[in-house]
Amino acid sequence: MDQLVHADHPGGVERTHHRRGSWGKRLAPYLLSLPAVVWLLLLFLVPLAIMLSLSLKTCNPASGTCYMTWSWGELPHQVNLYRTQFITSLEYAAAATIVDLVVSFPIAYWIAFHGGRKKNFFLMMLLVPFFVSFVIRTLVWEFILSNNGFFMTFLRHAHLISANFHVLGTGYAVIAGLSYNYLPFTALPLYVALERIDRRVLEAAYDLYASRREAFQRVIVPLAIPGIFAAFLLTFIPAFGDYVNQQILGGTSSTMIGTVIQNTFLVTGDYAAGSSLSVVLLVISLLGIWLYARVLGSRSIEEYL
Amino acid sequence: MSDNNNTGAPYEGIDPALWRGLTQRRLSRRQALGVAGGGIAASLFLASGAASGASLPNAKVGNATWWKKEKLHHTVNFANWPLYIDTLNGKYPSLEHFTQTTKIKVNYFQVIDDNTSFYAKIRPSLAAGQYTGYDIVVMTNNNPPLGYLMELGWLVPLDHSMMPNFKKYAGPLVKNPPWDRGNKYTMAWQSGWTSVAYNSKQVKDPGDSVHILFDKKYAGRVGMLSDPFELGSVGLLALGIEPASSTEKDWSKAATLLQKQKSDGIVAAYYDQSYIQHLKNGDVWVSQAYSGDIYQANLSAKYKDLVLMIPKEGLMMWTDNMCIPLYAQNPKDAMTLMDYYYSPVTQSVVEYYNDYICPVPDAKQQLLHPTSWNKAALAKLKPEIGLPTSATADSPLVFPSGREAKLTKTYYQFKNQEEINTWTNLFMPIIQGA
Repeated sequence: MDQLVHADHPGGVERTHHRRGSWGKRLAPYLLSLPAVVWLLLLFLVPLAIMLSLSLKTCNPASGTCYMTWSWGELPHQVNLYRTQFITSLEYAAAATIVDLVVSFPIAYWIAFHGGRKKNFFLMMLLVPFFVSFVIRTLVWEFILSNNGFFMTFLRHAHLISANFHVLGTGYAVIAGLSYNYLPFTALPLYVALERIDRRVLEAAYDLYASRREAFQRVIVPLAIPGIFAAFLLTFIPAFGDYVNQQILGGTSSTMIGTVIQNTFLVTGDYAAGSSLSVVLLVISLLGIWLYARVLGSRSIEEYL
Repeated sequence: MSDNNNTGAPYEGIDPALWRGLTQRRLSRRQALGVAGGGIAASLFLASGAASGASLPNAKVGNATWWKKEKLHHTVNFANWPLYIDTLNGKYPSLEHFTQTTKIKVNYFQVIDDNTSFYAKIRPSLAAGQYTGYDIVVMTNNNPPLGYLMELGWLVPLDHSMMPNFKKYAGPLVKNPPWDRGNKYTMAWQSGWTSVAYNSKQVKDPGDSVHILFDKKYAGRVGMLSDPFELGSVGLLALGIEPASSTEKDWSKAATLLQKQKSDGIVAAYYDQSYIQHLKNGDVWVSQAYSGDIYQANLSAKYKDLVLMIPKEGLMMWTDNMCIPLYAQNPKDAMTLMDYYYSPVTQSVVEYYNDYICPVPDAKQQLLHPTSWNKAALAKLKPEIGLPTSATADSPLVFPSGREAKLTKTYYQFKNQEEINTWTNLFMPIIQGA
């Protein structure tokens, strides 16, 4: 606005106005970003710094006092101790992400290209179940999948499964729970990416004698890659650290690292070890993201996140 | 269990300051693993040296002269576990009667879900020498925090001149218990058993032994508890070892047994209190279980099939203890309230609602033949409970008979942090291992 004023009245601008205008101009971006900066500082960077420093300390579980002992060795030690749980978490999160991508791509595609005027309605339908707390929804899955629940009883009566077959308490139940819970986090970025594709580009592809399949492979998918990447991040990362699904749906051999971290804090009360594990989890996630970004080379991810 | 006499109070035999120095130096899991360098050891020494130089923060608190200076403030802040007191239409009849007769207002907070996490909430105040906001907290004896509170001098020693009801009516299971000899710091709120429960529809020949939890016949249908102290204790019972007098060698034997139980595919999962849901819906046929849960499940005709076993190896008894955290603002009001709950009249009302193990055996007579204000209170509660008061009075789960009392075992009392670490390092990997 200030620029307009200057342009309209060359030389006729009051001095005070001019000064105020340039101050405001200089400060405006800082003032506007202030809430975000404060938010980031207080709720993200400070806790992160506390967690990082705690991971190098040694704590007395009785008095709660922690001393800085610079125990760098703790990080590789924790990886060693809980290697299997880390690997299990990676496998489950990867499986759930793949399931989600496969399931939600057609949904997102259909809404984006064939949703017509009811697009918002369909998107809403996708989100409605998620107005209920995810713990409750996971508990309902436990009820549905339980051995004497109606679903398993029906399958058993139909002789589709043997009497001893069970889903609850297996890794498959955990993957199913994760996929279900994080589905909208995959579907929505995919939808945004597909929705943004310029239809004229598709028309051009057809004009150049591309078959529908070729157009899909060589136009739609490449243009949707930033969305796929965003979907991957938003699904994989929370699923990797998730512990609710494993605790409710999992059994004895499917412990994920999130459960271990939770137990370290709440059962053992060892905050230092819990922080070390969290740091390792964070580093693995960041490394994964970095690698993934390098491979896909997506520069415009932020547009879709 | 008599061996337990010495182990119950490590704080008495040894100078507590020295004790803390020792545990602080040894507690470090990192050091034991050899990842620490020389500088680390030095800094820990400095820290523990500073700590052991000072006496316990409650050294001058809780003696006769201290108590004499304290006055009633006619208010008390009471932190307890949820659903653990007589409740009617959102009000607590026994607390209301207390306020009417003593003019002490009670702020009742149902904020304790878990020992470790609640302890973590009050710990910063205690460490800073400040009031936690609670004059009474209720902590369980089978988890480390109660021991921590005693060890660090963060509890007010009780005024024994203000405990007439306790002296007269407290039952043998909670009087002078191994975890707090002479009731220096604590009075029991309620106790319960951790035992084995099964669904009699699916389990036809349960027998009377905890070995049912290790029976291959029930592979994949056995629930175990995810609390390492419960899990380890039942392992010890299965080996025929008294948990209270067990040694570290016994613990590793129990861990081996429990690891095998898991790798043989017998365990369905390690549950928190959610095991009861799995027992009810039939996913799990046999499980480690808390007596109160089974009693409450049985109240509904639908779950009459759930049976609590009294195994010949023993029943683990845990006790939730009322205690006064240091820097409490209303300790005298707290004492008055704690002793009030040792009146058989009061306890009859609480127990009619709770159905845990009653710390006051004489409450049984009060349930059958109420003589005081409890007559009206019990009558008002009855539609809510739906059972006659005799159901509670006659239940061996509330008033243990001779056999149950004899089979009751207490948990191992940890002498220091190193032992706690040894225990958790043995049993946690079973619970959360791959």
